[in-house]
Amino acid sequence: MEYLVAGGKESLAEKLQVLTDAAKYDVACTSSGVERKGNGKSIGNCVAAGICHSFSGDGRCISLLKILLTNECIFDCKYCRNRRSNDIPRATFTPEEICTLTMEFYRRNYIEGLFLSSGIIRDPTFTMELLCRTLALLRNKYRFNGYVHVKAIPGADPEVIERTGYLADRMSVNLELPTAEGLRTLAPNKHRRSILTPMRQIQNGIQANRNDLALYRHAPRFVAGGQSTQVIVGATPESDYQIINVAEGLYQKFGLKRVFYSAFVNVTGDKSLPALPGGPPLLREHRLYQADWLLRFYGFRAEELLDEKHPFFNIMLDPKEDWALRHLDQFPVEINRAPLEVLLRVPGVGVKSAQRIVAARRSASLSFRDLKKIGVVLKRALYFITCSGRMMYPVKMEEDYIVRNLTSEKDRVQFGSDGMSYRQLSLFDNGEFTRSVTVEEQLQAAVGQL
Amino acid sequence: MIVYRCTDSAESVFTAVYRAYQEKRNHEETFVSLTDDPVLFAEDVPVKPDPEKAQKVVNTLVRRFGEDDYVHLCMALASDQEDRAQAVYRTVVDGLGRKCPRGHLFDNLANDYVHRAFALARGVSREAERQKQFLRFQELESGLMYARIGPKNNVMAFIMPHFADRLPIVNFAVHDEKHSLFGIHPAGGQWYLLQGEGVEGPIRLQLSQEEGEYQELFRQLCRSITIDQRKNWKLQRNMLPLRFREYMVEFDSGDKVSSCTSWPRSGLRRE
Repeated sequence: MEYLVAGGKESLAEKLQVLTDAAKYDVACTSSGVERKGNGKSIGNCVAAGICHSFSGDGRCISLLKILLTNECIFDCKYCRNRRSNDIPRATFTPEEICTLTMEFYRRNYIEGLFLSSGIIRDPTFTMELLCRTLALLRNKYRFNGYVHVKAIPGADPEVIERTGYLADRMSVNLELPTAEGLRTLAPNKHRRSILTPMRQIQNGIQANRNDLALYRHAPRFVAGGQSTQVIVGATPESDYQIINVAEGLYQKFGLKRVFYSAFVNVTGDKSLPALPGGPPLLREHRLYQADWLLRFYGFRAEELLDEKHPFFNIMLDPKEDWALRHLDQFPVEINRAPLEVLLRVPGVGVKSAQRIVAARRSASLSFRDLKKIGVVLKRALYFITCSGRMMYPVKMEEDYIVRNLTSEKDRVQFGSDGMSYRQLSLFDNGEFTRSVTVEEQLQAAVGQL
Repeated sequence: MIVYRCTDSAESVFTAVYRAYQEKRNHEETFVSLTDDPVLFAEDVPVKPDPEKAQKVVNTLVRRFGEDDYVHLCMALASDQEDRAQAVYRTVVDGLGRKCPRGHLFDNLANDYVHRAFALARGVSREAERQKQFLRFQELESGLMYARIGPKNNVMAFIMPHFADRLPIVNFAVHDEKHSLFGIHPAGGQWYLLQGEGVEGPIRLQLSQEEGEYQELFRQLCRSITIDQRKNWKLQRNMLPLRFREYMVEFDSGDKVSSCTSWPRSGLRRE
């Protein structure tokens, strides 16, 4: 298949530079979801939890070799760096180059696998076919058994997407903008339906494959790591409530493994996009991720966290604290009795610590000291829990009071009354040291009597 | 009071546990120690490692607590903290005493010794995960993949199975410089450990020709994947502590690799 536009004159290093640069705004760099042992004959295995191999200067993990096959594109999405009308250096990898890079990096333990995406050349089906062939080469000729994440191109022929699904561990179609309206204004070549169609197809494929696997244990696996998507935050005026509702819908109706949120970075300088002089909306992105975890692991529903009247997350408090403060009638919770679902809703108690509490209280009644050992963040939790009927300190169950304490830099409640404190105890905490030294003592010290 | 003096090996500690039960000691007043620090009013009992007794203890642990919890006990013993033997001993006593079901040995976190053993095992397990993340192989001229690590705890036994499963057809060696220990994996064979005073790593690494190119390519990848508008050195340092960077090819490590320019020194300072 002839697709190289500019005969491949650049060196591998230059291409890698251009094509990682082009791929870096895609958030998904996870290698989780698949547990696959090595087969003893070829290179690679997968670990269910995923492995991050390095961290770049922005603190994001480098788990996969995240590259585009090409950054040539026939589309003209306004938010995208690789759009047709943007004047940037273009490059294209050959499938062999991608395979060699992946294998050599993998052997040296630099990466956990390959993340392959692409700009659209000629038409979506042609591009998808190229991705599929590259993966087939990697899996069959280079016999790579590690993790592969590949993009499904919206609008591509379903048959090609299905073939690719059998070669990949995770597939993703980027929703990019949470509402159809936003999509229409910023990505004129994309349509909501063309994005949701492959998503639905992959979901059905995974479901059908699950049935196959129940019947035939060694049936080939289709997108074993599930699918994910990405939503850009802050490019269009959607509220957090809308975004989190869309995410919940995707989790429930499309069986997605992850929805990623990407704080919008204005790389194109297009006038229809917000300027964002204060940098990308990172705090907003952080709050969305926190809420996302609450949806997936803590049994919250989107409408509990936000509603039409409060469409945005609180800047000062995390979503769980915010929820707890609006439902003070359900607190305090007794640690030694409350069921797991209730413990999960206490600020400062995570999934692990909730499970540990439930396991530990079988053999002993727990005190605040034990909770600290278990890993509960008492700084946040103390307003919402009791141990054997007693609170840690006398606190008022009053919204203003708790907010004031939760948001303050220093812990406001008087600590140390029962020997527990969050501050390192200093030698000079003793009252003796606060008074000034007398002349008499100076003399004594000078002659060695003190 | 009785103090069993062990040498630094799991076999020795398990032998001590066996003897504590065999000699019907009061567990509250019995200690297992890895050091020679004297204890007041205590009777010292030196323990000679006995493979047979240790194996009996291991069998009991696996039968009563399950494979996973047994591995966690081994992890606690691989830690570098001095009280690890005592914590493991008393955890076993606690588990056997309250007849805990399999897989629930570490449930009783309100017990200080159980919590200590749990914390030690967690520390070692985390460090092993970190090494799986940050270990870097370098291809030598002979085609051998060679990696240096410098972990606080003795994690070699917990990372080798991972790499042996991942790279079954590759000859590789992992060198733990802190514990002068080698993990060796011949292609298509079983991995094994090599330890001893006489064992030394290659004095000068003769890297293969392509090695430098791929290192440079990876450094370039790390540079260009960073989004400038989101720069956050503190987060990077949280996720990737400085002590690992000495062994990683994408970071400046003094004399070994010097061409990585995009990691500003100032960024590593406290801002």
